[in-house]
Amino acid sequence: MKSNNRRSGGKTGAVVALCVVLVVTILLGWLGITGMSIPPRGLYKVLSWLPTTNAENWPQSLALGLDLRGGMYVEYSGKAPEGSEANFDELVEGTMSIIRQRLSDKGFNEANVQRLGVDGIRVEIPNVQDDTVLDLIGAAAKLEFKDPNGETFMTGEMVKKATYAYSEGEHQIAFQLNDEGTKLFGEMTSANIGRTIAIVLDGEQLIAPTVQSAITNGSGVITGMGTAERATSIAAKIQSGALPLELTQQKVDKVSATLGQDALTSSVKAALIGILLIMVLMICRYRLNGLIASWALTLYIILLFLLIAVFRIQLTLPGLAGVVLGIGMAVDANVIIFERFNEEARKGRSAKASVRAGFKNAMSAVLDANVTTLIAAIVLLIFGTGSIQGFAKTLLLGVVVSMISAILITRFLMNRFVAAGATKMSLYTKVNAGKEVEQ
Amino acid sequence: MVIKNRSKICLIISAAIIVVALVLTLCGRGINMGIDFEGGLSMQYDLKTAAVRTDVESVLSQIGASSFTVTVQGSGSNEVNIRIKDVAKDDIQKVQEDFETGLKEKYPDAESIGDVNYVGPVAGATLVKNAIVSVLLASVLMLIYIAIRFDLNSGLSAVFGLLHDVAIMLSFMVIFRSVIQMNSSFIAAALTIVGYSINNTIVIFDRIRENHKKMPNAPKEEVTNLSIKESLGRTICTTVTTLITIVALCILGVASIREFALPIIVGILSGVYSANMINGYVWAFLEEKRRGRKAKA
Repeated sequence: MKSNNRRSGGKTGAVVALCVVLVVTILLGWLGITGMSIPPRGLYKVLSWLPTTNAENWPQSLALGLDLRGGMYVEYSGKAPEGSEANFDELVEGTMSIIRQRLSDKGFNEANVQRLGVDGIRVEIPNVQDDTVLDLIGAAAKLEFKDPNGETFMTGEMVKKATYAYSEGEHQIAFQLNDEGTKLFGEMTSANIGRTIAIVLDGEQLIAPTVQSAITNGSGVITGMGTAERATSIAAKIQSGALPLELTQQKVDKVSATLGQDALTSSVKAALIGILLIMVLMICRYRLNGLIASWALTLYIILLFLLIAVFRIQLTLPGLAGVVLGIGMAVDANVIIFERFNEEARKGRSAKASVRAGFKNAMSAVLDANVTTLIAAIVLLIFGTGSIQGFAKTLLLGVVVSMISAILITRFLMNRFVAAGATKMSLYTKVNAGKEVEQ
Repeated sequence: MVIKNRSKICLIISAAIIVVALVLTLCGRGINMGIDFEGGLSMQYDLKTAAVRTDVESVLSQIGASSFTVTVQGSGSNEVNIRIKDVAKDDIQKVQEDFETGLKEKYPDAESIGDVNYVGPVAGATLVKNAIVSVLLASVLMLIYIAIRFDLNSGLSAVFGLLHDVAIMLSFMVIFRSVIQMNSSFIAAALTIVGYSINNTIVIFDRIRENHKKMPNAPKEEVTNLSIKESLGRTICTTVTTLITIVALCILGVASIREFALPIIVGILSGVYSANMINGYVWAFLEEKRRGRKAKA
């Protein structure tokens, strides 16, 4: 965006540019609130992305955190079973995938399982308030041994031990059964030599070995495991019959959907009131520049939520607070610039020269102020957990977008207004009589 | 308008606030730690009629809880917030059920509302550690950044201001312990203030740098006075715009938002105060000292 205009036709060009930006702003705002589907048959669909005070109509394009939509979350810390020598990361991943499986089996398709730090696992289940889900997560896994006909003949409790073994250049699983298991396994293997049995965990087939001989003494090996990792991980699953890790509940939080909706609408109301008051204040104090700042602020909000929607940044309650706080901060840079502008104007400079000098003098303060906020947001992102991270993300995004809006959009608009003929200094600030300067 | 160095009085006022908070803490009336830090089980119920605190407490005693707090809230004082500190993780469900049964005997229409929240003891300890580490780390990074962009003395005085603001926020949490609890959102609030309230200081220091070049031989205190005066319009305006949104959030928002918004408001006010009344003069003091040392050498 160049600040110097062509000599001829500069005025018309500037007016046209301002009109174009105005139309774009209105279009984006309208699109953001209503969304759009283009016929035929809504092939191209644009979801709305701007939140309104009506919780029922919240844009589908925004990913809401549990605290805003209701639901529950649990945080666990995991411990490797005693004597386990398996890679801890693998155990965590294995536990997480089993939890995911269990939840989706029961129809909680929106559940989200995340790793927290080294040994933490966080499970989020939207729209659910029921504690029985927790039992589902933490319960011992259902390990079944199925005969060639698919009938379960033995279960996980009958396994005394299952370990990784290496023999004759091959990775294996060695297992030992209890008395009951020995009897059942012996009968089944004697009758089914050469046929395939299956070991199934929570409905998921772990392995399907072929019976090579009758195993009547209660201990045997499963060969042909391919890699040591595979053998170890499957052995761990068979061994415990439960999750690879021992989980301890650290945190349980249940939020009702109505509470989430209240939080949502009240935050949006607060934001709207805040925006309106800021606009009034800015226009009173900086006149035409205040109007420009309000315009830039509108574009800022449209862009910010568009980015939140596009990057699927989860909006939590603190995250929403970060957005609202960011709105107040976004005008900061404008204020610094306008104060510098007014100073230049008071020295008797023309509007055009004041814009240039104002930006030049304000730039270092604007940059420093934003960098420090960025530093704080990044530290929060690293050390924060759960919803605090949501806050850090929106704050981070807000700072970056507000800097773009202050440096690019505000400057563009100010230059166009000056070029379009808005050069009387009384349009921008109080001027002493007789000192008014025209370009 | 005349700007004068009143930093000594201001520092005494701040120190007095912090000392009051420290004394209160030592007397066992420190920060009201919320569930995120202390752990335990928290529940909310709407009793549909005015709650009698002792009634609710007797229900808790009946089910065997020994360490708990009951807060009555809501417009018709018919909502209660219960926190039980000594709950083992396996008992959550049982305690909850027992309590509800007991409560319904006294208040048949009682209904669970909102959050049911359990935090284990380890999570709280990690949170405290993370909070301290993140505030310190952010402060060190600020110091480095400002020392590079300005000079070491500016960095030191700006970070002095930051720690002052965080200390005032913590003191506020102590003094108003009956109104506000400290939860994990306080960490977000403190870090926001660390990142944001330094902006006022930076704008003033930016001015000081500019004026310092114009009048290199003037006393540093005078340069500071002038710079504060020249930045005042901007300082007031940006503070007001930020306060507008956060106050609106505090008034309209739900309880958990208030726990976050209130410390931020305190931090922003403290930030304006320290930027204008203290930090510049700390810089002037450090700078005069450095010059004095140089002159002697």
